[in-house]
Amino acid sequence: MFLTVDEALKLAFPGCEVARRAAFLKPEQVQRARELSGAEVPSALVNYYVASRGGQPAGTAWFDTHRVRTLPETLMIVVDPQGRVGRIEVISFREPEDYLPRGAWYEQFRGKALDPGLQLKRDIRPVTGATLTARATTDAVRRVLALHQILIGAGKP
Amino acid sequence: MAFSCRRFWTALLPVVLALALAPAAFAQSSSTDERVRDLEQQVEQLKAEIAAMKSGGGNAEADRLAELERRLEVLAVEIEKLKIGEAAAAADQSEQGFGPAASKIYRTERGLSVGGYGEVIYQQIDEGEEEGEGAAAKSEEGEEEEEEEGGDHFDLRRAVIYVGYKFNDRILFNSEVEFEHAGEEVEVEFAYLDFLWRPQLNFRAGLLLMPVGFLNELHEPTVFLGANRPDLEQRILPTTWEEGGFGLFGAAGPFTYRTYIVNGLDAEGFTDDGLRGGRQGGSEAKAEDLAWVGRLDYTGLPGLLAGGSVYTGKSGQGLETASGRQLGVRTTIAEGHLEWRWRGLEFRTLGVRAELDDVAELNEVLGLAGDESIGEKLKGFYLQLGYDLLAGRAAGKALIPFARWESFNTQDAVPAGFSVNPDTDFEILTLGVSYKPIEQLVLKVDYQNVDNEAGTGADRFNVLLGYVF
Repeated sequence: MFLTVDEALKLAFPGCEVARRAAFLKPEQVQRARELSGAEVPSALVNYYVASRGGQPAGTAWFDTHRVRTLPETLMIVVDPQGRVGRIEVISFREPEDYLPRGAWYEQFRGKALDPGLQLKRDIRPVTGATLTARATTDAVRRVLALHQILIGAGKP
Repeated sequence: MAFSCRRFWTALLPVVLALALAPAAFAQSSSTDERVRDLEQQVEQLKAEIAAMKSGGGNAEADRLAELERRLEVLAVEIEKLKIGEAAAAADQSEQGFGPAASKIYRTERGLSVGGYGEVIYQQIDEGEEEGEGAAAKSEEGEEEEEEEGGDHFDLRRAVIYVGYKFNDRILFNSEVEFEHAGEEVEVEFAYLDFLWRPQLNFRAGLLLMPVGFLNELHEPTVFLGANRPDLEQRILPTTWEEGGFGLFGAAGPFTYRTYIVNGLDAEGFTDDGLRGGRQGGSEAKAEDLAWVGRLDYTGLPGLLAGGSVYTGKSGQGLETASGRQLGVRTTIAEGHLEWRWRGLEFRTLGVRAELDDVAELNEVLGLAGDESIGEKLKGFYLQLGYDLLAGRAAGKALIPFARWESFNTQDAVPAGFSVNPDTDFEILTLGVSYKPIEQLVLKVDYQNVDNEAGTGADRFNVLLGYVF
């Protein structure tokens, strides 16, 4: 574990008010998220954190837990008010850390929207020796952007 | 009567306790997934109840509705905790002041990690050119068994099991046990303990993979192109190369590093063919002489890996000349490497140079004469270019034609009084294709044109199926 949920939220939204939300996806929303992301959507219950500063939206943080090789990792993926990827933080990673890409690799996602280019070996460059983590991370970002689009709308906090 | 009544309750107490604690024990033993499913079912029930009440109106139910919504929220939080694990629990601890015991359940997820990979190969060796003094550049695996079996062969080259265990967030164990040639040989390729302190500084000890080149640490079949590892990374960088030792590793900014003290190579195993026979592999390894190995990589730009490594230390391990002088045989291997990946493109290059001291005396001790001398200098490089034709089209699939050009010489210089054997000076062109139906499976087909100065290189045609999980 690298960060707690609290620590990650403070890092992403300093001085902001953060409200937790739970959404119960309808089957058609799950299906839509699958289609948009091309990734699995394993649960119909999703939690996310909406941040605001002085009444203005500051972004949304999604926590996505998924399997890398045999063990899970949890990422915090922040979506900015324009519906683009902001910060990504690794919250916990149970595989050997040799399979963890370095920080600069995650920076590739910043500013990306849910479009066909958001794929490994297209706009996202792979990492030798951490291919499965790179794949799992790219899928998680696509899944989160799809859920964000469905539940909040592409251009909202 | 009072006595027997007390006995009755004394006897009954464990039963009552067992019954009372059974659900808790069961809950703890059930997996996280089951707990998540149970909680999700409860959430669905509560949602249905709330919906029913809302449709029925009824002001008298208002309090009950509020209570159900509160419970729904509690369950949603519980599910989140189970999904995220201890990171969420720790959040509780700081927020609500729970002691460690309260969030213990979330901290029990210690990791036993099991993985593996394997390779099955069919290899045709051009026997027509394989005459001469055993001069063909044999592939790593071919090196041993091909000499015995000769020519074409089929081999379950390796089946590997990784076992790792995370004792806690600070201490973890990682190991790789390899069964080679369908179990003919069993080898522990690495087994070490990591003590993690901070990203910049961590400690590692055990049987360690030497952090040299591209493939010594990362050699799963899905990670590199070609059925065989580059010959250069077998003879001068003798992959897979592991030795016992300890050291530090970490990352700072765009740089990663490793620095280890290990038992040195054993010069008794060196030949004109390279340093491969000097590896000790942690099996009752001689540690009269120690060595240092360090590596620095730059990964500041996504897709780019640029770095180098140096190994230096004596390899004499107590060897003595006839006159009783102990041989040092200082061995220094330095390499630089660069990889660039952009969209479907993958480019790799690596250059290596090794220098050995006391070679003339070593030759004498080992009974090597004429052109059999161990190289005083060894050097080589390779370039490799591949392009994934399916890049970005189908998730996880890849079809990568590639070419690799290697040039190396394991006798780039020999001591005075010895001659160079032309069969140690190689140029190898590998042309092939890798196909991955999914990220974790690969089919590799390639042809290797093997030339040496003696004209005794044996070309190879390889088909390899590899998996990793």
